[in-house]
Amino acid sequence: MRTRHFHLLGLGCLIFTACTKPPAVSREDHPLPDGIDTARVEPGRRGGVFIQSVPGEPSTFNPLVSEDATSGGFIGLFLDSLTRYNAVTQEVEPGLATRWDIGADNKTFTFHLRSGVRWSDGNPFSADDVLFTFQAIYDSRYPNRSAFDLSVDGKPFRVEKVDELTVRITTPEIFAPFLEYVGGVGILPKHRLGPAFQDGTLQKAWNVSVAQHQPDTLVGTGAFRLRSYQPAERIVFEANPHYWRADSAGVRLPYVDFLVTKLVKDINASTLAFATGQTDAEGLSPDNVAWIERFAKRYEFLVHNRGPSPNSGFVWFNQNPGQDASGKPFVQPHKLTWFTDRRFRQAISHGIDREGIVKGVLFGRGQPLWGPETPANKKWYNPNVTQYPYNPARARALLAEAGFRLGEDGKLRDAKGNLVEFTLNSNQENQLRVNMATVFKENMRDLGITVNLAFLDFGTFVGKIQDSFDYEAGLLGLTGGGDPAGGMSVFSSQGRLHQWYPNQKTPATPWEARIDELMSLQLRTLDYATRRKYFDEVQKIMSDETPYIYLVTANAYVGLKDRWKNIKIPPLGSLVWNLDELWTVFTP
Amino acid sequence: MTAFILRRLGTLVPMLLAVTLLVFALMSLAPGDFLTPVKAQRDINPALIAELSKSFGLDRPWYEQYLRWLGNILRLDFGYSWTYKVPVAELIAQRAPATILLSVCSLLLAWGLAIPLAVLAAARPGGWIDKLTSSAAYFALAIPEFFLALLAVWFAAQSGWFPIGGLTSLDHDFLPFGAQILDIAWHLILPTLVLGLGGVAGTLRVLRANVLDVLRAEYVTAARAKGLPEKVVLFRHVLRNALNPLLSTVGYAFAGLLSGSLLVENVMNYPGLGRLVYEAFIREDQFVVLGSVMVGCTLLVIGNLISDLALAWSDPRVRYGR
Repeated sequence: MRTRHFHLLGLGCLIFTACTKPPAVSREDHPLPDGIDTARVEPGRRGGVFIQSVPGEPSTFNPLVSEDATSGGFIGLFLDSLTRYNAVTQEVEPGLATRWDIGADNKTFTFHLRSGVRWSDGNPFSADDVLFTFQAIYDSRYPNRSAFDLSVDGKPFRVEKVDELTVRITTPEIFAPFLEYVGGVGILPKHRLGPAFQDGTLQKAWNVSVAQHQPDTLVGTGAFRLRSYQPAERIVFEANPHYWRADSAGVRLPYVDFLVTKLVKDINASTLAFATGQTDAEGLSPDNVAWIERFAKRYEFLVHNRGPSPNSGFVWFNQNPGQDASGKPFVQPHKLTWFTDRRFRQAISHGIDREGIVKGVLFGRGQPLWGPETPANKKWYNPNVTQYPYNPARARALLAEAGFRLGEDGKLRDAKGNLVEFTLNSNQENQLRVNMATVFKENMRDLGITVNLAFLDFGTFVGKIQDSFDYEAGLLGLTGGGDPAGGMSVFSSQGRLHQWYPNQKTPATPWEARIDELMSLQLRTLDYATRRKYFDEVQKIMSDETPYIYLVTANAYVGLKDRWKNIKIPPLGSLVWNLDELWTVFTP
Repeated sequence: MTAFILRRLGTLVPMLLAVTLLVFALMSLAPGDFLTPVKAQRDINPALIAELSKSFGLDRPWYEQYLRWLGNILRLDFGYSWTYKVPVAELIAQRAPATILLSVCSLLLAWGLAIPLAVLAAARPGGWIDKLTSSAAYFALAIPEFFLALLAVWFAAQSGWFPIGGLTSLDHDFLPFGAQILDIAWHLILPTLVLGLGGVAGTLRVLRANVLDVLRAEYVTAARAKGLPEKVVLFRHVLRNALNPLLSTVGYAFAGLLSGSLLVENVMNYPGLGRLVYEAFIREDQFVVLGSVMVGCTLLVIGNLISDLALAWSDPRVRYGR
């Protein structure tokens, strides 16, 4: 009997502790470095725990291995870079470097490092660490994403140490996105990873197993350092006592003591965790907003509309004139004639009721899209592209001009009498795309065009687009945003994701040749206005020629608990990008 | 006896070969591979994809990949996870304890509840215990496990009495040791019930029928005639004999719990092997899938072996060897 009482008592304690605050935390105090960065925010109070949830699992904590956004997000919490990206202004700001000079040749960048910065284990940070990082990235033993991003035509940057706190980086050619790309490179601690680099095991360093058993070996300069990692359960970060930012009152950031991330199975579980008040912040998809808002009062949160998301949805036709190994053309010749006719594509575009898609599929939470960038990309979005408002009459006129005839039976035929019919593929996992494809089919029926829908597994679909090319039309989305250089594989005619006709040896059309030219021109200047002019023209051509028939962009929503101060919600990217500045008056 | 055990373990080899070959072939036939999601990202360089594909051996035909994997297995190298860059054995060892804990708890629940109830029900067929357990068992058998798991999650969310998924609380790291144990126990209650309830019902039905059978045996009448108390008759004479057929199914039950936990773990957000395997399948992380399939097969064989040995121990008529 006594034991049973004990159990009940224990359970009671547990439920009780789960609702009260964690034990008082005493944080290490170290003198601020002389190169401290003062955050221009309302000074807040230290303490509190920020709780978020993430679908899936980090695959690694090593930036040389990471290819997925989930791992990248966690790495960004404890590794800082030379520069910092302000998600709200979309500008590059000082990070581990306080300032940088650009040489007259526009190829030489001299970074002046912040003095007195220390790694989270207390060791001093210096130019040697920056050199080490680039050495590791370019080493052929460790193939990684950054090595390709930080090269021009396969040639790496030259990185030299000028003195303990000065680093000079030279690019082989003028490289426009230099600052933004260098800003993405987390600087690695030489004193920790040097030995692994030497003996060839660098890619095995900082893997999930190390993170679980020796979290304190993951040393960084970021706002947080890893405290514990329980696979499939949670990751706990704690404030880095050596962080290089403070507020105007001289209080070292971050304000929060702990950042707890629950690892959940999928996006639905993550959304549910927020809707039931378990987490502090969550990105929400438009179709979930209505029901989640009903819980806003009970769990004291607010759903913010971030405006258009950087995600575009589009339909395209396969314009690949090639043939497979057996000599069979990828696309039937008469269909290829339609698909390569600009008037046909424009007619299709005029025939799509985008407002209807926004209303019917996105519940009004989105807007029509006419070009490759969405308004979320404030810095590069061109609003003056050609638009194709819903106009079936105009669509019919364009089709007639291109030689198509509407028969007695209400079906459209081309000049040679072939019925206009094609199959549209999309991936079955995405319900919004499935719904959009259905609206598209209905719209096309009004023009006398028969569309067959075939929803495939994502892997199968990507195989068709990139390897076998045996399909007629597709509906997909791409996440845009960021620097135009990131769109190289889409816009360039040699690109892998130039989906209507990828990997071209020479541009198939004059307009694709022009886009190629503009895309390489914009890479070879550092002047924003000039680059903007080039990229505006790329967007204009894309809308004129409509190889991608853009559909709509959904709005992005975030839910955030009311208790957090200094919140600045950016149009794209992580909603808590300034986690080090957040503070709360209540403790959980 | 030793020869018997060795012979049994020997059958494992062809079975593992066949199963892994099948899994490998099916995975290669399935569209897409581990690099498909990477290919769909717009800012990844094609040269990097080619390099990764080469380093994973994905540019080779599937039978060559399989033979190479087999060669490594002979050297006891189970490969490493492409996703996590961690040896497969280490990854499985990392997740296995949670699943084993859950499986053992459910098995204990199933047997601990089913055995006394079945004996009591069979002692008075048609009595109120029998009627109650029968209807409860039919009810439990009729509900699919995944639905029960969903119900449990809903119940936890509505009542707030139990945590919604996981094995530990957010503040687990900050709790004293005793409270940590209680915390885990508290998290285990619902998943154990969900996974164990079907087992309770199944075991109960089988055992009740067995007990009824044995009750009609002459030695039971003899025992009663001797004047033994009914409790002793039921639990010492009847149960021991009625248990034999059940012992031979324990191996299957064990393997079944593992596959059942795959489902329950994914619905209830439980951090065990089930989630790891499911994610590995979805991502086509080859070596993790093969490694876990091998663990599953081995457990099935060993489970069956254990039940055979237990049978020999409990029933003097069963002898192996020779």
